[in-house]
Formats: sequence, structure tokens, C-alpha cells
Amino acid sequence: MTTLAIRPAPARSRSGTRTGRRVAVTVGAALVLLLTVLASFALGSRQLGVDQVWNALVAPDGGDASTIVRELRVPRTALGLAVGLALAVAGVLFQALTRNPLAEPRILGISAGASFGVVLAISVFGVGTLAGYVWFGIAGALLAGLLVFAIASRAREGASPVTLALVGAALDASLASGVYALLSIDARTFEEYRFWVVGGLAGRDLSVTAQVLPFVLAGLVLAALVARGLDALALGDDVARGLGNRVGLVRLGGGLAAVLLTGAAVAAAGPVAFVGLAVPHLARALVGADHRWTLAVSALLGPALLLGADVVGRLVAPPGEIPAGIVTALIGAPLLAVLVRRARVVTA
Amino acid sequence: MTTVDRRPDSSTTAPDADASPGTASARLPGRSLLRIGPVSLQVRRRAVLVAAALIVLLLLAVVLSLSLGTPYVAPADVLRALSGAGTPYDLVVFDLRLPRIVLAAVAGAAFGVAGTLIQSVARNPLASPDVIGITQGAGLAATVALTSGAAAVLVAPTALVGGLLAAVLLFALGARHGLAAQRFVLAGVAVAFAFRALTEVVMLTADPIDGLRAQIWLIGTLAGKGWTEAAWIAGTLLVLLPVLAWAGWALNSTALDDDTARGVGLRPVARRIGLAGTGVLVAAMVTAQVGAVDFVALVAPQVARRLVRAERPPLVCAALLGALLLVLADLAGRRLFAPTQLPAGVLTAAIGGPYLIFLLLRGRRRSS
Repeated sequence: MTTLAIRPAPARSRSGTRTGRRVAVTVGAALVLLLTVLASFALGSRQLGVDQVWNALVAPDGGDASTIVRELRVPRTALGLAVGLALAVAGVLFQALTRNPLAEPRILGISAGASFGVVLAISVFGVGTLAGYVWFGIAGALLAGLLVFAIASRAREGASPVTLALVGAALDASLASGVYALLSIDARTFEEYRFWVVGGLAGRDLSVTAQVLPFVLAGLVLAALVARGLDALALGDDVARGLGNRVGLVRLGGGLAAVLLTGAAVAAAGPVAFVGLAVPHLARALVGADHRWTLAVSALLGPALLLGADVVGRLVAPPGEIPAGIVTALIGAPLLAVLVRRARVVTA
Repeated sequence: MTTVDRRPDSSTTAPDADASPGTASARLPGRSLLRIGPVSLQVRRRAVLVAAALIVLLLLAVVLSLSLGTPYVAPADVLRALSGAGTPYDLVVFDLRLPRIVLAAVAGAAFGVAGTLIQSVARNPLASPDVIGITQGAGLAATVALTSGAAAVLVAPTALVGGLLAAVLLFALGARHGLAAQRFVLAGVAVAFAFRALTEVVMLTADPIDGLRAQIWLIGTLAGKGWTEAAWIAGTLLVLLPVLAWAGWALNSTALDDDTARGVGLRPVARRIGLAGTGVLVAAMVTAQVGAVDFVALVAPQVARRLVRAERPPLVCAALLGALLLVLADLAGRRLFAPTQLPAGVLTAAIGGPYLIFLLLRGRRRSS
């Protein structure tokens, strides 16, 4: 599958094949996502047929099936879509901005910023509802993101990708230890925080998704705007500048988009690992390093992976559930391993 | 890069070839040539200064850590006790505090060494034992041991086996293409996430009390540990000392691309496997003994590199810095919220993180 791009071929037909291949991959990813959404509506501790799901969606009759679909599974699926999409797109942006294949929401301190915000909300401001946490989570993520970029841009070595990654890692670790310190001296906060941090997609109603949706949309628009600039950034700052790109502006826009998306996702669903790291690598292996395609495919595969993991988590250990974050890594890690061994590794 | 060829024979044609043994003479900016008999070494003067300063700081930190606590022992009494004069504080100093502090220093040094090796091979400042899965492998094994009611003495050996298993998996996945930096790191990430997820599955099904014990192990703490653990880590480092001496020299070539390295007569793939293998071995051993103390392995090499102003993390300074950081973190964990004790793994980040940021803000821009 990966030999297509390597095999010598006349330039025109090669670029034609590549575009065709990219369209095919994107359509395939969209189909996979559609199927996972359907599965997420239909499967769970009570299995529903496709007809029951359809009835519940278009003509709710107030029966068990419609209640389950409309009250439980639709909100959960909506949240999974928003969070998976936001994390995957943010991952592409982080990896492009830092030029580091290890970059992800956790590495840049944004996740820890959101966690810190939530812990402060519980322990200092006495907030007790999920909807309340979300605002603090987003605020914490935004502040942490601003701090990372502000510090990195003031560093003497310049806002180089390495500085950005290191500042992010340092801030992330510091905030995480702050969170731990607060939790270990305050047992009540720990109890409430635990619910937020392991929550995953379960137990969040539609209002949470609605709360974070504006942030996700704003982040997506910004990401689409800077996509071409990111391609140039991959060539190095000097080359990018020489090609007529405004490097600072691209970095600012991409950074803001990544922070908005991560903040929204983490605030709503807690720190879900792996999606933001692995999906961009999968997408690049499928469609190459062109950021417009990588972003599009990631936006489809991210929610597909998260929702698929959520469905599997519901099914494997009835009547309990395994949180989506864990299943995501269990499904995604072998996928990433195969990718590392088989395909060429394309990095941002 | 001026560090490609440092073999002794290259110096015979140099103008200062008649310098007497043991004297140092300047050859490259900021470096001295040290000769002892047939052996000659180029030494970065700034690295020697930094190392000396770190040793002094480390000794100060050890004395401080020995004296603070309940009961407080004045530094003068600590020194008298250490000199074997026989003071009333011998029990506190030798039996209660010294084992744990020595363990902190030895473990910190081992983390610094492992981090330097792994970061250099991966060519990525974010790569460290907990990014490439060694920590998670040890963590999974330790969690299984702790939640299945195995004897306490079995936890560390089990964790070691887990860490080494993760290493084998890492090499099996990443070595196919000559352990190239990018593949090595990504294979490690896959291993890390898989093991972490499995750990969480084990935790979900475990008894809450056992789960809590495993959680504390995963964060990494020195409480209740001492000479045994320190001996294991120090023994590993001592056995590996010849390899580490080779590594300190071989690390210089990790920045070269494979073709250039082959062009000057090196075997880059064998080197990378040797360096990475040493790194994961040290990482697995130290993690098995003290738990998943994060961040030391990440921050020590990077801070050391900036202090020395070198192109790559320096091995000796990174080890000293790791030791200093973990001794300070353990001290802060014991005293900051006393009587509540925080695990050292929490404080390493709180101390190391801001310092790295400070260095990045203040570090001088390098032109080379």
C-alpha cells in the first residue's frame, strides 16, 4: 500500500493516483466513522436493531428503545464525535508546530492546565457540577497554552520547535505535580476530581457537548486556515519565510487552534490519551504529509477510534464498562506498532 | 561539529605533540587535551567546571537532607557523625536518613544516564524511559505483583522483568530498520500506551487497597527504601561502567546521519543498539527499584546540556544533575507539607520543570 508513492512513475499520473488515493482514503474513513456512529447508537448493555435505532431517531415513541437511544446514546455519541475530532486535529497541529512526532495535548501542558483548572474549581471555588468544571477546564487549558507559547517565544534560543516542546513538557510536569499535591492534601477534592478524570464519555449529557462546541468549531476553522502554512513550516522557518509565509502568524493561529480544541476536549471528557498522538501518525501514513489531507482524515479517524473504543468498552465487561481512554490505547497501540514496522514513517 | 574524530593518533601531528604527559593544552576553543601515558582525551573545560560545581552542590544537598527533619540535626553534628566520631545522632543519620538519601542520589544518577542515552539515540529531547515504555512495562509487572498478593520482595524483580520485556518488544518493533530515531521513538510510544492501558485494566479489576498501593508505586517513592535498592542500582551502574565509558565517547556520533557515520568508519546501527540497550537496561533496573519517578530522565540531560553549552546531553553532568534533583525532590517531599509526605516523583517535576524553563529563558543563544 505504501509503495505507490515510492514506485517511480511519470509525474502526472503519479500525482493523479495520489489524489485519487487520498480521496478514496477520506471516503473510507468517513464510512468507518458512519459505521461507528451507528454501532454507538445500537450497541451497549442492551442491543438494539437498526430499525429500532431509526425509529427512535425519527419517530420516538417513548418506549425503552427510544429512551435509551435519545437520552443515553445520542449524547454520548455526540460527545465522542466532538472530543475525538478535537483531539485528533489538535494532535496534528501540535506535531506540526513542534516538528516532534511525540507532541500531543499532554506533552504541551494543555491537558495538565485543564486538570489544574478543574482541581482549583473543586477545592478553591467549591464548584460541584460537571457544567461548572468545563469552564474552569477550558480556562486552565487556555492559560497553560498561553503560558507555554509566551515562555517559548521569550526563550533565548527562540520559539523553536524544540523550545516549545521542552517548555510544554516542563509546564505539564509542574502542573501535574501541583494537581497531585492539591489532591493529596485534600481528600474531598480527590473524590470529586476522580469522577471527572476517569469519566470518559459516560455520564455527560448534551449540555456539556453544547458548552464546548463553540470552542471546537472555532479551533477547526483556525486549523483549516493555517493548514497550508503548516506545510511550509515543515520545511523549516527560514524556507517557510522565503516562500512568503508569515511564520509567526501561522504558529500563533495553529497554536491557538490547538489550545482551543484540546481545552474543549479535555474539559468535557477528562484527559483522554492516545487519540491526539496516534491518529495523526495513522493519517499521515495513509495520505502523506500534506496537512490539508492529514487534518481531514484525522478529523474522521479520531472520532471513529474514540467511539469505536467506547463501544468495545461497553461490550467486553457487562454489566460494567471499561473507560474509552483505556480501550483506545489497547486498540490503537497495536495499530501504531504495525504502522511503525510496515509502512514508512512520515513525520510532520 | 568538531567532535567526530577523537582518536588518540590524530594528535601526533599536532604542534603540541611534545607536551608532557598529564598536562593540558588548548586545542579547540573551550577544550583541553588531557594525556595520561598513551591515553589522551579532549576535555571540555566548561563541563569539568559544571561537574565540579554539581558535586559540591550534591554534597551540600546531602548534608542538608541529613540534617533536616524530626529531629533536627545541626549540619556540624551531621559532619561529626559522618566522620565516625560517634555522636548521639548516629542512629538518625546513619540508619534512618542516609540509606534513603544515598538511594535518591544513586537512582537520580541512573535516571540521568538512562535519559541521556535514550534521548541521544532517539534524537528527541522528549524521549525518556516513560515515553518509550520501559517505565510502563515495569509498572504493569509491579501492579500485577502488588494486586495478586505476591510477597513484597518479589515486586522489584517482577518489575525488572516487566521493564526488560518492554525493552525486548521495543527493539523487536523498532530495530527492523536499523533502529532509526523516528521508528525507535514511535515503537516505544506504542509499547508505552499498550502497557499503560493494560495496567489500568488490572487496576480496575483489583481490590481498592491493592490498587492504592500500586498507584503509589507507579508515582515513585523512596519511602521505606534504602541500602538494598541502592546496592542493586549502583551494582548495575558499576557492572556497566566500561560500557558507560564507551557510551560517553560513542554518543558523539549519534548526531551524524548514517551515511556520514559510515563514511568516517563507524557502524551507526550497532552503536545505536548498544547505546539504547544500555539506556533501557539502566532504566529498567532503576524503575524496578524506586518506581516510576518521572521527569528526572527527561530534565537532567536537557538542563546539563544547557549548563555545559554542548551540542548533546553530557553523560557525567546529566548523572550528577539527576542525583542532585532527586535528593532535593525527596527532601522537599519529606519536609514541605510535613507531616504529610509527598512521593519524590511528584516533586521532581515541581523542582526540575521551573528550572528548565528558567534556563530556556536565560540560556545564551548558541551560534554553532
